[in-house]
Amino acid sequence: MVNHELVLAPTMDPGLVLDLVERVGRAARFGVVEVPLGEGELDRSERTVAAWCERTGNELVEVTAGVARVRRGRSADPYAGLSPDQIPGTRLWMYTNFDCNLACDYCCVRSSPQTARAALGIDRVHQLAAEAVPAGVSELVLTGGEPFLLPDIDDLVAACTAALPTTLLTNGMLFRGRRLDALRRMDRDRVTLQISLDSPTSEVHDAHRGKGSWDRAVAGIQAATAEGFTVKVAATLPYEQTHHVESFHAFLESLGIGREHRVIRALARRGSAEHGIELTLETLIPEITVTATGVYWHPVSAEHADQLVTRDIFPLQSALDQVRHRFAEQRANAIAAAQWFPCA
Amino acid sequence: MSSNPLLVGAVAYTANVVPIWEGMRDYFADTDAPIDFILFSNYGRQVDALLAGTVDLAWNTNLAWVRTVGQTDGACRALAMRDTDTVFQTVLVARTGSNLDGLESLRGRRLALGSQDSAQAAILPVHYLQQAGLGADSVELLRTNSDVGKHGDTGRSELDALRAVLDDRADAAAIGINTWESIGREELMPGAFEAFWTSPTYSHCNFTALPGLDADRTDPWVEALFAMDWENPRHREVLEMEGLRQWVPPQLDGYASLFEAVEAQHISHRW
Repeated sequence: MVNHELVLAPTMDPGLVLDLVERVGRAARFGVVEVPLGEGELDRSERTVAAWCERTGNELVEVTAGVARVRRGRSADPYAGLSPDQIPGTRLWMYTNFDCNLACDYCCVRSSPQTARAALGIDRVHQLAAEAVPAGVSELVLTGGEPFLLPDIDDLVAACTAALPTTLLTNGMLFRGRRLDALRRMDRDRVTLQISLDSPTSEVHDAHRGKGSWDRAVAGIQAATAEGFTVKVAATLPYEQTHHVESFHAFLESLGIGREHRVIRALARRGSAEHGIELTLETLIPEITVTATGVYWHPVSAEHADQLVTRDIFPLQSALDQVRHRFAEQRANAIAAAQWFPCA
Repeated sequence: MSSNPLLVGAVAYTANVVPIWEGMRDYFADTDAPIDFILFSNYGRQVDALLAGTVDLAWNTNLAWVRTVGQTDGACRALAMRDTDTVFQTVLVARTGSNLDGLESLRGRRLALGSQDSAQAAILPVHYLQQAGLGADSVELLRTNSDVGKHGDTGRSELDALRAVLDDRADAAAIGINTWESIGREELMPGAFEAFWTSPTYSHCNFTALPGLDADRTDPWVEALFAMDWENPRHREVLEMEGLRQWVPPQLDGYASLFEAVEAQHISHRW
C-alpha cells in the first residue's frame, strides 16, 4: 500500500507545478492566468514558477501577494509594427524648465510667465546624458516651458550634444542678445531646433499663442536657418484640421523647411487645452520624459500624476526598464484581449 | 474560400483548439485542398459525425481511431499523424526515493490512473499490467474520471493522479509522456517525482477518413499537409500549437496494443 516512509525535500513545489500545468493549460494562447502560490516558502514557490515557465515556454508576468500571473506562451514582440524611433527609450525627453514667455491656451503643461521654473538643472542633465548612452537612448530632446529663458541653456545643450544628437524645442522668439549668443555657441552638427508654428498666416497661431507671436516665430525660423542650424517646424492643430494643411506645407516650403522637418500633430486635451484628443497611458506609445519631479510616460503629460512612472530619476536605466516592461505588458494584454473578445 | 472544402472534425478540449484550426484553415486556403472545421465537445460525438458524413475527416485520438475501426469493420483510413504521435508512451511515476522499479514493483501497491477513456493513462497501463501478470488482485487501481469524453486530451485526470501520489493516496501514477514533459520530468522537480517504468512506444492521434472519401480529394490534402514546414514561421506557429514538428504517414502497427487492450478490457465501441 501507500509508502509513508519517504522523507523528501524537493527544491521545487510539485503541487504548484501541477496547478500550473492545469491552469495554464486551460488558458487561451497569450492569455494570463493567476496561480495561487499556496502556503509554502515564497522563494521556493517563485523559483518553481520561474523554472516551470522557462522550461515550458510560458512567461512569468509577475508575482504579487502570493499569486503568480503566468502568460500562456510568450508574448509576441511588443514592438512589432513600430518604427525604430518609436521603440520606447529610443528618445529621451527632458523638461529643462516649465516657465515660458508665452501662455498658449492649449499648452499641455500649462506653461506661462507665471509658471514656476522647476528647472531640471545642469547636474541632472549631465547625469541623464551620461546614463542615456549605455541605456540605449539614441537621441535627446530638450523642451519646456521655453528653454531659452534659462541663462545656462547653452551649457545644458552642450552637456547633451557631448553624448548624443539633440533636438531643442523652442518657440523661436528669443534669438536676440545673449540668447542669440547662446544659440551661436551650440553645436550645429548635433543640434536640431524644433520651432513651433501653427499656421501659414498669423491668425490661427496668434489666436492661441498671443498677438505678434507668429511674426516672431517666423523670424526665429529664418534666423536659426541663417545661423546654419537644422530647423524643424512643429504645428499643433485641432485633430479635424490635421488633414487640411496644403497651404501650410506651401508656406513651409517657402521657408526652406523640407518635408522631413515638418511635424504636424493633433491637439491633445491635456494641461490648458479644454479640447483635443484624449491621450491615456494605455493609448500612448511612451516617449520617456524626465522633469525635475520625476519620470513620465510621455512629454504631453509631464505634469500629470496619471502618467508619472517614478519619482526616482536615477538610475535612468531602471526608469526605462519600468516603462518598457509596462508597455510590453500592455501590448501583450491587448493581443490577448483581442483574441478573447472578438465576438463579444 | 472554396465552395467545397474538406470538413475536418476536431474536439475542443482547450480554448487553443480554435487558433490551431483557424491556422490550419488559413494554411490550406492557399493550397489546392482548402478545409473548414467543426469542433465537437467529445470524441464519441465526433466519430458519430464522421460516420454520418457530417465531416470528411476526423482528427481522432488513438481510442477514437480504434472505435472508428470497430464501427466500420476496418474500412476507415488513417491519412496522417504528427511525428509525436508515432512515439507516444505511458510513463509510471512515483515519489523520488520510492525505490519502485518496473511493473512488478507495483505488486501490492496502489496505482493512480487517469480518465477511463484515456489510452495513455488508463486503458494501456492496465493492459501492460495484465501482460505482466498483474491483475486487479495484484495492483489496486485508483481511478480519476475527469473530463471523460475527451480521451485524456485535457490532461486533467493525469494531474489528479499525480496529486494522489503527492497526497499519499497512491504509490504511483500512470501518465502520458506529454504530461511527464509538461511537469518537467525529473529535471524540474528533483526530489519530487521519478519515472520508474516507461512503456513501449505506440501511436496516438491520426486524421481518419471513411472509404467514401475519394483519393482525389484526400491525396492533394495529404500532400499539402506534409508540406507544412517547421522552418516556415507561419507554419511553425500552427505546428507548435499542435505539438509537432512534422506531419508523417500513419504508423498503424502502433495501434496494435490498444486494439488488444480494448478487446481484453471489453471497452465498448461507443460511450
